[in-house]
Amino acid sequence: MAARLRYPTGVRPLLIDETARRRRIETRFIEALERAAFAEVVLPIIDYVEPYAALVDRDANRQSYRFVDREGDLVAIRSDFTPMLARALAPAMRDDELPLRLFYRGDVIRCEASRLGVNRELFQIGAELVGDGSVEADIEMLRLAAGLVREFNGKPTIVYNDVSIAAALGASAREALVTKRVDPSTPLIVRKLIGGQATLDDVAPFAPEAAARLDAIGAALDPEEFVLHLDDFEEGAGYYTGLRFRVYGKSLLAQGGRYDNLYARFGTPAAAIGFTFTIEELD
Amino acid sequence: MRIAIPKGRLQDRALGVFAAAGFDVPDDFSSRKLVFNTGGVEWIFVKDCDVPVYVEHGAADAGIAGLDQILEHECTAYQPLEFDFGRCRMMLIAAPGAPPLATIATKYPRITRQYLDGRGLRAEIVPLGGSVELAAVLSLTSHVIDLVETGETVRVHKLEMQDLVAEISPRLIVGKNVYRTKPREMRELIARIEDTKNASLQSQLP
Repeated sequence: MAARLRYPTGVRPLLIDETARRRRIETRFIEALERAAFAEVVLPIIDYVEPYAALVDRDANRQSYRFVDREGDLVAIRSDFTPMLARALAPAMRDDELPLRLFYRGDVIRCEASRLGVNRELFQIGAELVGDGSVEADIEMLRLAAGLVREFNGKPTIVYNDVSIAAALGASAREALVTKRVDPSTPLIVRKLIGGQATLDDVAPFAPEAAARLDAIGAALDPEEFVLHLDDFEEGAGYYTGLRFRVYGKSLLAQGGRYDNLYARFGTPAAAIGFTFTIEELD
Repeated sequence: MRIAIPKGRLQDRALGVFAAAGFDVPDDFSSRKLVFNTGGVEWIFVKDCDVPVYVEHGAADAGIAGLDQILEHECTAYQPLEFDFGRCRMMLIAAPGAPPLATIATKYPRITRQYLDGRGLRAEIVPLGGSVELAAVLSLTSHVIDLVETGETVRVHKLEMQDLVAEISPRLIVGKNVYRTKPREMRELIARIEDTKNASLQSQLP
């Protein structure tokens, strides 16, 4: 039999040393989240595809393992915690218990159909602050993410932006921002964004709320550690509506952002912001 | 900084781009070395189809790659500059009097799949490593999809071009993570090359 040694694409077992290492990291990580008053929830390993269909584009759908369950419904192995938490929480959420500070941990499996081989089972720990749309919540979550990197003796660099800036520009501007390529027809503001000369004053006329929030974040946080990249934007921003950030140590450790429309899709509107660390990248 | 240079068709022009921008580029290829350190840059020489892989994964910060390889790898690296040299077209090619589209031989199965889906066509894809025209000449497949630069290969084999799949140009690609973590260095790299590109355009004016 061909598969005596081999595992299905993207998964592998962890044996004694690797498991001990993961456990050490996980324990420290969870302790830090609990100190910050975050409570744990557990989300299922598989779920129906249908409730998420409108949220997820075709490409993201391709990234998950899907199959038909015993009742004949299409189900997928967990590939992204955030929409699952919204679906689990939204129907049961009461206004008087908001905001909620929650975390979860577990494996996600992504089988990106690309020849670049990004194709793995990842152990992730994520934290979300649900029911608080304020810029103070943005700052709290950014600080928490940086603190978690420091917990592992890392020096964090957090690159952040607001996706509503690109959303306020036209399709051709977004195309230029995705490739970082400008041509003579590219509007001046997009040239300035890509060239790195744009400031919040340039953004304020067409994205006033994003500019005000980014200004408040910049004033509250150390600019050595938290770096604003006004041209950071990629296609398929998915459910993100505002702040978007990536956390770097020696490599990309975590990413996250604000998704204020996600909970409404599952029945109860609530602002939310969160991030996910991929634990393999810590040490 | 580590820069990936594609071996083969684009190698000399790619090195020329960096030399014109004032970089000290390697020039002695008598040994079989693949890594060179000159002028504070580590130059790596990889097969053209591998440049997007190195840059996507951050093993190289930047590189020069053809759009064919960028698309085929679904590479998400930034593509800040497009070059005028080495342009070609990706074409659907067949022998005269070939049967209707049924099978396509190609080095680009992913692009071919997207082309077929985009046109609403159905055909089986036969991935090949090279000399793809031969598949049409020997009727291995009804059609082939390949790059056409001068059209000489197509003419020599008495094949005909039936449809344009994509216009292909070489691009400077820059990894997303390095662009985020070293924005000043990466923007400076892009600006230096862009300046020499613009200068060479100026010099072509009458």
